[in-house]
Amino acid sequence: MKSSGLRINNAELWGGAIWFAVSLFVLDQGQKLGLGSVNAPGMGFMMFWIGIVMAALSLGVAVQAIRSEGPSVRALWAETRWVKTLIVIVTFGLYGFAFTSLGFLLSTIPLMLVLLRAIDPVRWTIAIPLAFGAPILIWWILKTLLQIQLPNGVFEIG
Amino acid sequence: MDLLGQVANGFAVALTPINLLYCFIGVFIGTLVGVLPGIGPISAMSLLLPVTLSGTPESGIIMMAGIYYGSMYGGSTTSILVNIPGEATSVVTCLDGHQMAKQGRAGPALGIAAFGSFIAGTVAVVGLMVIAPFLAGFAVAFGPAEMFSLMILGLVIVTFLTQGSMLKSLLMASAGVVLGLIGLDSITAQPRLTFDRIELYDGIGLVPVVMGLFGVAEVLSNIEQGVKRTITSTKISNLLPNKEDWQRSAGPIGRGTVLGFFLGIIPGGGAVIAAFASYALEKRISKTPERFGKGAIEGVAGPEAANNSAAGGAFIPLLTLGIPPNVVMALLLGAFVIHNIQPGPLLMVQRPDLFWGVITSMYIGNVMLLVLNLPLIGMWVQLLRLPYNILFPMILLFTVIGVFASSNNVFDLYVMLAFGLIGYLTRKLGYEAAPLVLAFVLGAIMENKLRTALIISAGDLTTFFKKPISAVCLTIAAIMLLMPLIPQLRRKREAVALEDGNN
Repeated sequence: MKSSGLRINNAELWGGAIWFAVSLFVLDQGQKLGLGSVNAPGMGFMMFWIGIVMAALSLGVAVQAIRSEGPSVRALWAETRWVKTLIVIVTFGLYGFAFTSLGFLLSTIPLMLVLLRAIDPVRWTIAIPLAFGAPILIWWILKTLLQIQLPNGVFEIG
Repeated sequence: MDLLGQVANGFAVALTPINLLYCFIGVFIGTLVGVLPGIGPISAMSLLLPVTLSGTPESGIIMMAGIYYGSMYGGSTTSILVNIPGEATSVVTCLDGHQMAKQGRAGPALGIAAFGSFIAGTVAVVGLMVIAPFLAGFAVAFGPAEMFSLMILGLVIVTFLTQGSMLKSLLMASAGVVLGLIGLDSITAQPRLTFDRIELYDGIGLVPVVMGLFGVAEVLSNIEQGVKRTITSTKISNLLPNKEDWQRSAGPIGRGTVLGFFLGIIPGGGAVIAAFASYALEKRISKTPERFGKGAIEGVAGPEAANNSAAGGAFIPLLTLGIPPNVVMALLLGAFVIHNIQPGPLLMVQRPDLFWGVITSMYIGNVMLLVLNLPLIGMWVQLLRLPYNILFPMILLFTVIGVFASSNNVFDLYVMLAFGLIGYLTRKLGYEAAPLVLAFVLGAIMENKLRTALIISAGDLTTFFKKPISAVCLTIAAIMLLMPLIPQLRRKREAVALEDGNN
């Protein structure tokens, strides 16, 4: 592999840096929880040592990233349908917040419609019955057969 | 009670109508997810983990086991007809199976895959019945030091066999251990890393973690790449292999069965490695190795037998030692834990009905799979036509329901979303999720065994090397960790390294 030296726009290097930050957090938490002694290890004993291992490994990843030519952050998403992935992530994130406030049915039906129409559009004649039918069927099965109460939201629908 | 008596009791449990139903549901769903590319046994088992709560432990675990070995059967269908492995275990089947389909021999390829799977699956259950009690007796002697070292070995093997950088796999495993430590400390009962969130006192749930890392992340990756598939328009007729096919396949099925079974037992090993090893073996000992890759039936029979046999063998470490050898078994461990049952050497003494019921259900499941796979192949082929743009919203819907139903807690939904995003991003950077999940399940147990071993030995770290089993495990683990540092050995590792989540 071609040596490229230190390049900031290196996804692998950023990966190593994030892991290093995580390992410092683990180390810190381990120490705060208490290491104890070798014959009576404390709550933070294993966490502390795992933190050390993680720090060493993340430095290894960073060194590898510097020594070898890693992809740029942009290259990871080049020639992909990243916008569609982003739509799903954002929709799903919003759904997480709407789940309790609107309730299962009122949040899931729009979610299904968006997923069925916005990514690789499904015909309306299939999308609408599926978007309404699947959540209602699942809600009915859970509520009546398994007696699991799904959130019904502020409108108390469901 | 003698072995036959135990087996008879097991059949009495497995043959109750409700358990037969659960077994059928398990193998049916297993075949279905095996057939459908983009959703595997891990996702399916994660989705159905909450369902196990609604019945008895036997029923739930029989169903989960059925999904696992059922997916081994189903995976071959897509490999042969579409040249897309439904499962990583069926990657090798593509090589010769699809060539056979292109030559108009899809029927015998599908047939020998089903028969080979049936024979191997059944033999593996016999092996499981014979070896598990013996090993369980032996495992009682395992102390905390041995258990800790064995778990270290299992984790190292998984990281060793995962595709890509071993550094990254080890990082994922380390992160998994830390995540497994969240919640109340097993010795002092004090909260750790809970950030005053009461939902975290019991730790992060396995279901949202696995559904996020495998279910949601898989969907995000597939959407990004755009899943497209075309089905070979081969006419499928005459599923029964002819005499010559059987003559060519008998040896590979036998060898694949034995090889797969023993590779399945090894922690970190499993069905994927078994299938590859079987193919390599058959090609090496064949008098006509040039036929391989061009439609040799041995290249279908051996690997298919091996992956099914390995699926049976993988139950041994879980049922006898309480250690899941791979992610699928970790999920099965989750199903046990949900019912407050600890698998391990005492399982067959304390819950013989469960132990033998699950094992004998596999006989019945294998028969069901043969029935499902031969006459219903046409139906599975039709299912392959289900477009991904309809399938993925349903998968996401089921992940939501699965997570919520398992805990009745919206917090878990956020956990799943977070892990979905983490899984997607880590995949992008070449970090595999399998080591993280296995370490997550083992983390708290490992820590408990480590601390107990140190307390018992009064802080003597050499206790891990004084005990022979522990010393052997740690030595093998150390060798595997050092192997990638030697260029020649690193190349060998890269040759056997496989994709995650499938072993």
